[in-house]
Amino acid sequence: MQEYSEKNTEKKGKSRDFILVAVMAGALLGLSFLCWGKQDDSFSESERRVLAKFPVFSMETVLEGEFMEKFETYSLDQFPFRDWFRGMKAIANYGLFQKKDNNDIYIVNGYLSKMEYPVQYQMLDYAASHMEKIYTTYLKPYNSKCYFSVVPDKNFFLAQENGYLSMEYEELFSYMTEKLHFTEYVDITGLLSLEDYYKTDTHWRQEKIIPVAEHLKDIMLKGEEVLSKTENYEVKKLDRPFYGVYYGQAALNVAPDELYYLSSPILENCKVTSYDTGKPVASVIYNMEKSKGQDAYELFLSGTSALQVIENPAISEERELLVFRDSFGSSLIPLLVDEYSKITVIDTRYVNSALLGNLVDFHGQDTLFLYSTLILNNSMSMR
Amino acid sequence: MLFSSIPFLYYFLPVVLILYFIVPKSGKNLVLFLSSLFFYGWGESRYVFLMLAVIGLGYVLGLLIEKYRGQKTGKQFLFLAVILDVSILGYFKYADFFIENFNMLTGLQVPLLKIALPIGISFFIFQILSYNIDVYRGNVEVQKNPLLLATYVAMFPQLIAGPIVRYVDVEKQLRTRKHSIELAAVGIRRFMIGLAKKVLIANALGECCAVFKTSSEKSVLFFWMYGIAFMLHIYFDFSGYSDMAIGLGKIFGFHFMENFNYPYISESITEFWRRWHISLGSWFRDYVYIPLGGNRVSKLRWIFNIIAVWFLTGFWHGAAWNFILWGIYFVLFLMIEKFFLMPYLSKAKFWNHIYVLFFVMISFMIFDAASLPEAMKNIVGLFGIGSEKLISTESVYYLRNYLVTFLIAIMAATPLPVKLYEKMQKISFGRKVIMVAEPMIMVAFLVIITAFLVDGSFNPFLYFRF
Repeated sequence: MQEYSEKNTEKKGKSRDFILVAVMAGALLGLSFLCWGKQDDSFSESERRVLAKFPVFSMETVLEGEFMEKFETYSLDQFPFRDWFRGMKAIANYGLFQKKDNNDIYIVNGYLSKMEYPVQYQMLDYAASHMEKIYTTYLKPYNSKCYFSVVPDKNFFLAQENGYLSMEYEELFSYMTEKLHFTEYVDITGLLSLEDYYKTDTHWRQEKIIPVAEHLKDIMLKGEEVLSKTENYEVKKLDRPFYGVYYGQAALNVAPDELYYLSSPILENCKVTSYDTGKPVASVIYNMEKSKGQDAYELFLSGTSALQVIENPAISEERELLVFRDSFGSSLIPLLVDEYSKITVIDTRYVNSALLGNLVDFHGQDTLFLYSTLILNNSMSMR
Repeated sequence: MLFSSIPFLYYFLPVVLILYFIVPKSGKNLVLFLSSLFFYGWGESRYVFLMLAVIGLGYVLGLLIEKYRGQKTGKQFLFLAVILDVSILGYFKYADFFIENFNMLTGLQVPLLKIALPIGISFFIFQILSYNIDVYRGNVEVQKNPLLLATYVAMFPQLIAGPIVRYVDVEKQLRTRKHSIELAAVGIRRFMIGLAKKVLIANALGECCAVFKTSSEKSVLFFWMYGIAFMLHIYFDFSGYSDMAIGLGKIFGFHFMENFNYPYISESITEFWRRWHISLGSWFRDYVYIPLGGNRVSKLRWIFNIIAVWFLTGFWHGAAWNFILWGIYFVLFLMIEKFFLMPYLSKAKFWNHIYVLFFVMISFMIFDAASLPEAMKNIVGLFGIGSEKLISTESVYYLRNYLVTFLIAIMAATPLPVKLYEKMQKISFGRKVIMVAEPMIMVAFLVIITAFLVDGSFNPFLYFRF
């Protein structure tokens, strides 16, 4: 009886081994066939980046190890069901390993955010010296009045109270205002809350930042006549969901955002000219074509742009503003337009500031330096 | 090529497995040898010829040693083999270390050679050395078939990170070996466990160490987290790789020696070294310590032998003073235990573990440091010297972030999971559960591991540099 039992156990052991080998061989070979057979993708929509192509194969690239190195990247980028696997990793990290973040991205109450920590003083110094150089070269000779405002990133409202690492924001603000002594600091933090940001993106929502725009105008136009204040904007909704930058990075199945933009007769009549190629090209406040691209936020002032001029025909007298900005400015600047005849929008990440003298007519315009904490803390892209 | 990489798992391994199992028996070694050359060439295309030259030397000298065995010429050929192998290792691994120290002592400016370290050189040199010595000793028959000897040295499962397989252990298997579903199943289990140890645990703990190193806000808590994380990281990294090697070996019909045996449950440092990197420890014992006379010599000579072995053990790990210090550090504890502490340790049932874990942790902090001052800084940091805070926001965050990984790692570093598995095997219900759950768990492992690899997470391998 015992002998029978042992034989039975042994038989079951053999079946168990057979099942294991068959299942694992199937899984390994199945995925392997998919790897070998899958057609290459050129772009990852979720990650918003170009994917690696099959590397050049030659004696030289092999001997240098370049082929192997690039093949490693290629095999990761072109892996079948890559997004699904990235999602699995996120789920395993959050669920199985109870990690608080996955690749520094965390989720609280449906809001996705990426940890930004710690304050990088070298970066702040670089940003401050960059702005000071602009001031001394182009603004000081004409006695331009300069204003400086910092857009807090989402972590300002989310990180600390939820136990995530976060910058010392107050320290950042005071450090920058001290460095930018030639500007008047406009604090907008009290006018913002978490709900003013997209859940899946870094940016703020245009329909929520009217008070910020009004506050900036109040400060910058203090003592000056109100010319054509827009009392009511028409809120328009983008006809497709907005998948923000963190949506793809997080690789989680979260609901996309809805994107709204504000319209008014003044904005509709504004003339926008873009100088990205050095030559004037007519543009628009809200670029609907761009909204169909990878990043619907590029709807606002056509997204990344080195230099744009917005002219408001509703104001006949000359009242100009220069804005040095990052992408947060794209959605805010249209809300400043109603009180200016002309706003020149400059992003020195895409144009070398040394060339600005040839491109912009500096003649004493009021100037606003508007940057987010994310750019200030990673300012090496400013040129 | 790393075992824990997409190119290995989904491009290289399936092709090799298919080729290996479809060719007749007579062709299996050739498949294994050629695929091993490809595997090595993937990471070190220029050094494939170096490895082949080392194998060629070992082969020819083996034949000569055998021919003149028992004569003075045989000893001279062995001496030549040792000198050549050690010189090759010395040139590629230690030349710049010697030049740097020579420059420091003399004030001269001899230019460094800046030679890239051939991957796995310490492993394959030690293997061919042991082969030549064993031929000389008459422990093994000389291998007249160059393909078999080359397959032994170059076999990709153990080529770049061990275990240091002795020729005597695989001599018969090279000629004839058994392949079976049972063996393949054992191999798959072992490989998957190793892969999970490496990708899911070691890499996460490695990330934690990397975060500590870049942090500007180090606190006492953070120093302790780093110490514990690194000792677990190096264990899971290296033992995971050994598991994968042993598992792959089984699939191909080889039985490699075990390299780790739950070292962190040791009750003394002496025991720890019987459980840690067993293939290296036994190599030094058989080819250095015993030839020097072992312990059958005067006390003074014995102490010298011990120091020599541990100096070499440390130096084998890397051409830097911290590795030498790391080796010598263990001499101190082995002596103390031998002469004084051992009787007390066997009685102190809880504290002996704390003692081992603490001093092993310190040893790995020396091991991991880029310099001796850095090692010292990290060690004194454990006691709050040089760090301003007891805890910091950063350390608390990362403790919470890696807590589950720490707990899993600590549990998996004990025999508990294996004991549980064995207990389940003994009962009918347990066997049924395993039969159903095991393939599913293994596939789930494969999926999760693939997910971690696809997302391009932190995936270095420590023992590549040795």
